[in-house]
Amino acid sequence: MTLRLFTLFLALLFLTAPAADAQEPFPARPITLVAPFPPGGVADLTARPVAAAMEKVLKNPVVVVNKTGAAGAVGMSFVANSKPDGYTLLLALSSISIIPEADKLFNRTPAYNMTQLSPIALISADPTILVVAADRPWKSVKEFVEDAKRRPGEISFSSSGVYGTLHMATEMLSHAGGIKLKHVPFGGAGPALTAILGGHVDALASGPAVVLPHIKAGKLRPLAGWGAKRVAALPDLPTFKELGYDIEFYIWAGVFAPTGTPAPVLKALRDAVRRAVEDPDFKGAMAKLETPIAYMDAPEFQKFWDKDARMLADAIKRVGRIEEKK
Amino acid sequence: MAETFQNLYLGFSVALTPTVLFYAFVGCVIGTLVGVLPGVGPLAGISLLLPATFGLNATNAIVLLAGIYYGAMYGGSTTSILMRIPGEAASVMTCIDGYEMTKKGRAGPALAIAAVGSYIAGTLSIVGLMFLAPPLASFALRFGPPEYFALLVLGLLVLAYMSSGSMPKALAMAALGLLLGMIGIDTMTGFFRFHYGLVELGDGIGVVPVAVGLFGISEILLTAGLPTPPAVHKPKLRELLPSRQEWRDSAAPIGRGTLLGFLIGIIPGSAHIISSFVSYALERRLSKHPERFGQGAVEGVAGPESANNSATSGAFVPMLALGVPSGPIPAVMLAAMMVHGISPGPFLITQQPELFWGFIASMYVGNVVLLILNLPLVGLFVNLLRIPYPFLYPAILVFCVLGVYAVNQSVVDVWIMAIMGALGYLLRKFEFDTAPIVLGVILAPMLEMALRQSLAMSGGNYAIFFSRPIAATMLLVGLALLLLSLRPLLARGADWRRSVGLEAKRALGEENP
Repeated sequence: MTLRLFTLFLALLFLTAPAADAQEPFPARPITLVAPFPPGGVADLTARPVAAAMEKVLKNPVVVVNKTGAAGAVGMSFVANSKPDGYTLLLALSSISIIPEADKLFNRTPAYNMTQLSPIALISADPTILVVAADRPWKSVKEFVEDAKRRPGEISFSSSGVYGTLHMATEMLSHAGGIKLKHVPFGGAGPALTAILGGHVDALASGPAVVLPHIKAGKLRPLAGWGAKRVAALPDLPTFKELGYDIEFYIWAGVFAPTGTPAPVLKALRDAVRRAVEDPDFKGAMAKLETPIAYMDAPEFQKFWDKDARMLADAIKRVGRIEEKK
Repeated sequence: MAETFQNLYLGFSVALTPTVLFYAFVGCVIGTLVGVLPGVGPLAGISLLLPATFGLNATNAIVLLAGIYYGAMYGGSTTSILMRIPGEAASVMTCIDGYEMTKKGRAGPALAIAAVGSYIAGTLSIVGLMFLAPPLASFALRFGPPEYFALLVLGLLVLAYMSSGSMPKALAMAALGLLLGMIGIDTMTGFFRFHYGLVELGDGIGVVPVAVGLFGISEILLTAGLPTPPAVHKPKLRELLPSRQEWRDSAAPIGRGTLLGFLIGIIPGSAHIISSFVSYALERRLSKHPERFGQGAVEGVAGPESANNSATSGAFVPMLALGVPSGPIPAVMLAAMMVHGISPGPFLITQQPELFWGFIASMYVGNVVLLILNLPLVGLFVNLLRIPYPFLYPAILVFCVLGVYAVNQSVVDVWIMAIMGALGYLLRKFEFDTAPIVLGVILAPMLEMALRQSLAMSGGNYAIFFSRPIAATMLLVGLALLLLSLRPLLARGADWRRSVGLEAKRALGEENP
């Protein structure tokens, strides 16, 4: 409580502090790293070690602030509309590309535009994997797809929410495989996992780390992964690419700054993140979370992001407005 | 059995080491504070402190976070009883009779009963957690959307027992609450409903700002509008302790609340909030004097407060036995384990016996700590009421605003609280009971989601609710309850003139006490 208020106080103090002098070396004061999701989620758990490692490089505090709400839209639009001085940064996940597209679909004023945010670096990219409840008959993607073709709309999957990352991953598979699955959305990845463990749905696309223990316990069976490479912890699990499905999907985490941040400041931040991901403490923290580090510097990350955003935009358009389909 | 005690011995050897004991104590103290502060509930408290636990080892971190969780359930009753401000969502029911007791000068006994009830419920439910975790956990997972829907329908029927005043007024308020609960993103289609361009309304209206506004702020406004300020309570030491009669009246509600809370608590989702509502309704239903409820019945404090405490242990069942993020709070605690490199899963108990049994033992210790902490505080808290209103109420307002703001760092939440305060003031001036609104706001989104998920699972076929045994049983119980509550109505129907006459007389009597 007091801790949060204190951070908040700090953050406010720094947001209202007079603008840094043009000649002043960056950074001259603490930096706020906004995680648009609550503590304990992927964004938060990635943001904290990143902030700690950047702090060592920049010799200035990097404070993680959880600004949550509306599936991340509140925090992301907050940073998109902040002063572009490099003191307010964003740690966002793949869903950053989804929200403006979904807003477009419903003719809403978008909470933010992707052009309002400039990438600094990609931190991690975790391919989702397809798991089915262990008592279901499918032993391979082939069996799964064939059965789904026989019974369109009968096999069900849970997701973290409609138009959420896990929904999009499954939508790509449905499109590539020419199948129709039954979607049961939940409010978050946790309830979606609970639902498949209870046997209420048949399948789930999920990050590997959270389902691994349940795979080991024989409650869930993995069928394939969305990555370009196999998942290290599951070396026998094929990728969809190997199986002939041209789909790739990652839940990734990257650092962004508001567009318009001066070039020298952006450079300083890029250098800081490059050195931060080499930090042994950072590597240790990510290893404990079983999240593979997939560092990319800004230009490379921008290309990756553009491609990913295009893919997601297509998937969202294919899903369309849900009520129009029936 | 013998093995369990051997394990428990291992657990206590972990829990009684000075560092673990220290973190259990710190957790309990923070939890009590989190509970006492209006607005900040256990989820917010745990989320805020999660980053601070990254530097600890896994056992210390989990013990600390769990301490905050059940500590908040102890602390949550304090402001509900003293000031009619629910410290967190699970204490909403405590406001009703707890505050009436305060008005009658029985604040001390209410707080003492809440603390003792919490202690008994907390301790007994850990016994349940210890012996029943593995078998119960698999059962809990069988609660899918259809079962959840049936449970919530049961919860909705509770509305009928909530209000002591007129039934049409209570139903109107419940309908208002359900309507307010419709605000926000449509979880099945992604549409925003009634958001008027505010991104923050996309998540719907939070229960906490609504409850603090409707109960707390409206109370402050009503008091400010009195021609003469209410007399300051000056409790005598003797009046701090419950009377023998109050103990007797509380014993059975505590027992029932414990069992009910534990059973509802193990169900994945946010079921622990419902446990206090259901317990209140149950006590009122079983009471020989249901008319005392809403007028300061001690059972209305003892039951819900025990239920919300034992629900916390229940919530740990699927989390510890299966590693399932069965609700928002267990999800944060599982994240805390992952940060320490422990992947939570079905093997947690066997692979991390020190963690599991240390955790169990620390909960026994923690509950004792909380009892020792809270009973002396009763005297202190009751003396807060001696502060003259011109000083006390502005201070409470400040804490309400701070607490509600801190949860999401959202000014919109503060506005919701203010608007709900004004609405609550108006409604109470017209003698509407505001508790059904809060229940409506809590139930509407859960009920809608469960219903639509169930129908998504069945492809639109309503038979899913009757083809699944647990769901069907619960719906039948609901139906039976409904019929039971209609029975007096049917019996009286024979001479409806008399019944109308009685109603009119009672209503008059209420208006002119």
